[in-house]
Amino acid sequence: MARTNATPKRLGLIAALLTGPLTAPVVGLASGCADFRALDEETDVQMSTHVDDWRDEVIYQILVDRFDNGDRGNDQGVDSGNLARYQGGDWQGIIDRMGYLQELGVTTLWISPVVRNVDTDANVDGYHGYWAQDFGDVNPHFGTLATLQELVREAHGRDMKVIIDIVTNHVGQAFYYDMNLNGVADINFQNNGGAMPVRHYTEYDPDFDPRGVQAFTSLGEAGPAPVIFQYDPATNHLPPQPALFEDPAVYNRKGRTFDFDDPDQLLHGDFPGGLKDLDTRRCDVKQEMVEIYAQWIEKTDADGYRIDTIKHVEYDFWRLFTQRLRQRLGEGGKRNFLMFGEVFDGRDDLLGSFTKHEILGDVDLVRLLGRAAGEGPTDAEQLADEQACSPEGEPLTGDQIDSVFYFSQHFQAVRDVFTSGQSTDRIQTLWENRVNTWGTEPNARGIGVSPADMPINFIDNHDVSRFLFNVRERPQDEQRALLHNVLLFVSAAQGVPCIYYGTEQDFAGGNDPANRERLWDTGFDTSGATFQWTKRVLALRAAYPALRRGGTRVIWSTAHTADESDAGIFAFERFGPDSGGSYVVMVFNTHQGHASTTNFDGESMKLSAPPGTVLVDALGDGATYVIADDGSLDITVEPMKAALLVPEGEYEAGL
Amino acid sequence: MSGRAIPLRCSRRRWALAPLLTAAGSIAVPIPAHALAPEPRVEADLEPEPEPEPEPEPKPPAGPSAAELQALQRRIDTLERQVEVLRESQAEVAQELGKAPPVIVQPSDEPVTAPSAPADVSYNRQPDYADGFHFGSYGRVVIGGDHRGRAAREGDIVAHGSRLDESTYAELELRREDYHEVTKSFTRVVATVAIAAPLFHQTGNFSTNMGVRNLYLEESGLGLKNLRVWAGSRMYRGDDIYLLNFWPLDNLNTVGGGAIYNFAEHTELRLHTGINQPQNPLFFQAVPRPLPYAQPGAAQVAVLDRQKVISSGRFSHIFWLGSSGAGIKPVVYGETHYANEGQREVEPRQFETLPREAGWVVGTQLGLFTGKRSSFLNLVFRAAGGLAAYGEFNAPTQLAPDRSSRGAREYLLAASGNYEVGPFGVQLGSYWRSFRNASPNLDYWDLTEGAVVVRPTVWLGEIAGVSLEGTYEAQRRGTLVPDQIGGQEPLFAQQGRVGLIPFITPAGRGNFTRPYITFTYLLTMRDAAARSLYPEHDVFGLRKVDHFIALGAEWWFGSTSYFRD
Repeated sequence: MARTNATPKRLGLIAALLTGPLTAPVVGLASGCADFRALDEETDVQMSTHVDDWRDEVIYQILVDRFDNGDRGNDQGVDSGNLARYQGGDWQGIIDRMGYLQELGVTTLWISPVVRNVDTDANVDGYHGYWAQDFGDVNPHFGTLATLQELVREAHGRDMKVIIDIVTNHVGQAFYYDMNLNGVADINFQNNGGAMPVRHYTEYDPDFDPRGVQAFTSLGEAGPAPVIFQYDPATNHLPPQPALFEDPAVYNRKGRTFDFDDPDQLLHGDFPGGLKDLDTRRCDVKQEMVEIYAQWIEKTDADGYRIDTIKHVEYDFWRLFTQRLRQRLGEGGKRNFLMFGEVFDGRDDLLGSFTKHEILGDVDLVRLLGRAAGEGPTDAEQLADEQACSPEGEPLTGDQIDSVFYFSQHFQAVRDVFTSGQSTDRIQTLWENRVNTWGTEPNARGIGVSPADMPINFIDNHDVSRFLFNVRERPQDEQRALLHNVLLFVSAAQGVPCIYYGTEQDFAGGNDPANRERLWDTGFDTSGATFQWTKRVLALRAAYPALRRGGTRVIWSTAHTADESDAGIFAFERFGPDSGGSYVVMVFNTHQGHASTTNFDGESMKLSAPPGTVLVDALGDGATYVIADDGSLDITVEPMKAALLVPEGEYEAGL
Repeated sequence: MSGRAIPLRCSRRRWALAPLLTAAGSIAVPIPAHALAPEPRVEADLEPEPEPEPEPEPKPPAGPSAAELQALQRRIDTLERQVEVLRESQAEVAQELGKAPPVIVQPSDEPVTAPSAPADVSYNRQPDYADGFHFGSYGRVVIGGDHRGRAAREGDIVAHGSRLDESTYAELELRREDYHEVTKSFTRVVATVAIAAPLFHQTGNFSTNMGVRNLYLEESGLGLKNLRVWAGSRMYRGDDIYLLNFWPLDNLNTVGGGAIYNFAEHTELRLHTGINQPQNPLFFQAVPRPLPYAQPGAAQVAVLDRQKVISSGRFSHIFWLGSSGAGIKPVVYGETHYANEGQREVEPRQFETLPREAGWVVGTQLGLFTGKRSSFLNLVFRAAGGLAAYGEFNAPTQLAPDRSSRGAREYLLAASGNYEVGPFGVQLGSYWRSFRNASPNLDYWDLTEGAVVVRPTVWLGEIAGVSLEGTYEAQRRGTLVPDQIGGQEPLFAQQGRVGLIPFITPAGRGNFTRPYITFTYLLTMRDAAARSLYPEHDVFGLRKVDHFIALGAEWWFGSTSYFRD
């Protein structure tokens, strides 16, 4: 019996030995041994709310391509050292450096646009992400959707949030205007003169024409220039996606904006660089944008959108877009979804026009740009028209964007005061106007905080030269003092601070692309003075609720900029019902030459806190100050320094 | 055996070679006259082609002296005369006995693959003398230019004109031949590399225009003694007109396969099917497409990728005229061309359909040969339609309204011949051709053309000679030009060429005896219409008279083309 059974076993063994080498790979694949997809697998995402109060957050702006290269596998087209081209940074790099970010103290990561871009145009790459080609697909240079999902998961796991940069105003360099009707793109040609003045043109980016870009022949104009979409897969110059954006009719086709104060150009012109302007007045475009950007959150569970080029898009678009997006995401479980963005303009009323709840229209924009405007439709007419585009869902209201970058503060405080030493009273004026210009009502289904209470404070970003570049003529220690002081300012001012990556590493690049350095070249050193200062400031902000949620009362500003005793002083209190009794006094000396004090000509700074309150300077080695009986406090601050005063009982030593 | 082999091999150069030539014609390399030559051609066809010639593969040189060679030649002449006498006597005896004249099989120690007059020799060579590697070559080197120092350049105004000013070209053929005892069959693997001008020493560039002209395996005698089958890439063609470097009836270049069957010793059927793909947007178009899964970059995707399928059939038979080696060889020939429908991109992601294409060729050849000294006359008629009218390697141009080649036609008449007697010889080559493209209206590319070339030669002893060549070329195109009386007439261009070619011929006399070294002077005279065929500032368009002066060398030995299979 044993012998009988042994034969088949032996045969089986022999068979296994013979066939094993042949079948092993197949078996391995089938069983999952070689299934590397598991390493990079997209997952179904359940949206949820991860933010309690956005005012608690500190935003850190990451140019993904420049932050860290965590995956060499997606380094296609990298031109190392040429900052106009891809450098290799990716989402995996951010995941890998979460510890660095957490140590710094930032809580929210604003990452570059995630959608697929035109790869290269005119020898410049779309590394920044603002040249969308396919709104529904990821930028392969940054990683896969799975990696993006992992990034968001990893952030949430560390109680951090992720904000994705988006663009609705334009697409990348998608087409050219065949102005001379020869069927090819010409980059430097001229007309024949005659009835027209002789001019040179580029068909990729011709100047704005309110009639639409015109074609011409040797005999003169020949009507609207045909739009010809590029098709060059090697550089990803492909017709934009989704399919709606392949229709020339969804573009304004008026050419390049050169006068940003001309409302028509501002709203309907191509963005310089040949970025083709979508006709965001069209209902189908609005609906498509809602769909596109709802899906990205549904796919990633990200927590907010930073929106590009807001002022180039009509108010009615923003009303529909933000309200329908909040509605859809809220129904999916995503509340407290933050939408803020870029109105690159120093006019505070223009900034606030995109956050306040007035029913503004194009004529209002004309007026805001300082031009004469006629009468527009009534609010009811305006809303009715918008509602017709999106009849389903809640009635549209005046709600718009939650907040915008505080560009007016960037110019009037960061540039004029902290960099140039101009008078601090302009900051007070600016801040006090905010309640009127930005709006005091939170958006329904929004973040629960009014726009006026939550400006996005920043020193610099990828579109402006870095702060240190602008003070590069100063001595080294002075440069750093100025930077540290302004870092404290944007972190202590009411709103949410937004720190541009590399600030903590003393990056000092000039304008684009010099201000887009590779962070990994620093080795992610955490021992530098500015890193440590930023870390300390953010820790203080986290420690004192008033610095995050408190209201603001300016208690000292001055027109003095010379040798007056209070020259350069700017002081404000942060407190209020939202900060739970927390109280903070910030005293900045923006003067760059001498110490200044909080009195002038016998008048002292008056505080809201009761007389006798002992305040500790959290930045001054525990130095204490007592509020005088008349409620005043005199404090002297060294140039380019500040004091952060908290009640003795609230003081946390060691920060 | 070996003692017999040497004189017989040498004798075939003189007399056994001649009927082979007459039966099959000589083979030369067609070169387009110039860019204006109307027959649609492709690059491969523009390149010179091999120069097969019925020349036995020589043994490695034994190193005989000139005196020994002359003595040998005299002995060969004697043997030749003896053989002729013997053949006549045998025929007389047979006639007396009432029998058919005997067929004399020429034994050979070289692979012979075509009829070798005066009697056929089976293609299947003896198994014991060709095994191993063999080398063969055709080549010509042309060193010269015009009288003002410009580089050599062909000056014909027709597709096939005088070859005196053709460019350098050579083939290097390596082949392996084996006899397989187990199946009693033979195999031959042929690999031929062709090199075209310019040569390194002309330019100093380490780049060479090279092509693989043959890469095939032929199997012979497997199962059927008289059957050969082959597969691979092959120059596949019949008889040429040497003076025009032109194969008027059949000249195919495909990747394919075929079969050749000899029903009798001088009746042959050839069938072949092959494919090729002209590098033309009508057959192939690759367009860039994004990589899958949104990966950066692009891939080239062939949206149009259709091939041309060409089939051919050729039937020939030799009627012997007596026992002198003379005969008549009629040939019937046909081709079909086919390309399936396709689509191509006219603008990004916009496609148009290209209709299915078809074409046909019918043709016939009548060869007359004397069996002596390569004397022969071949007459050819060929008609082609549709896709085939443009040639096997070409893509149709000037299409029909449905974007097809329907309606295209080509008609061809051609003649070639050779006659040698004593120290004199004369060669003839001529053709007339009418081509109409598929576009219904006459245009510049519709044409009728022809050429006549006559080359008399006189040999000076056995080592040298002088040829005089006269050429007349004419072409009429579908373009109207002003006539003499104020009206219009089709463009009619004419050109005359006269060449003087002294040469030395180490292998002795014979119009098809190679190698030889030539000196060539060629005078070309163009009329105004001929000059108008050239672009502005082209010297051929400026000169009424041109002088071409060149030194040249030409050889052929031991290549498969020589075997005439």
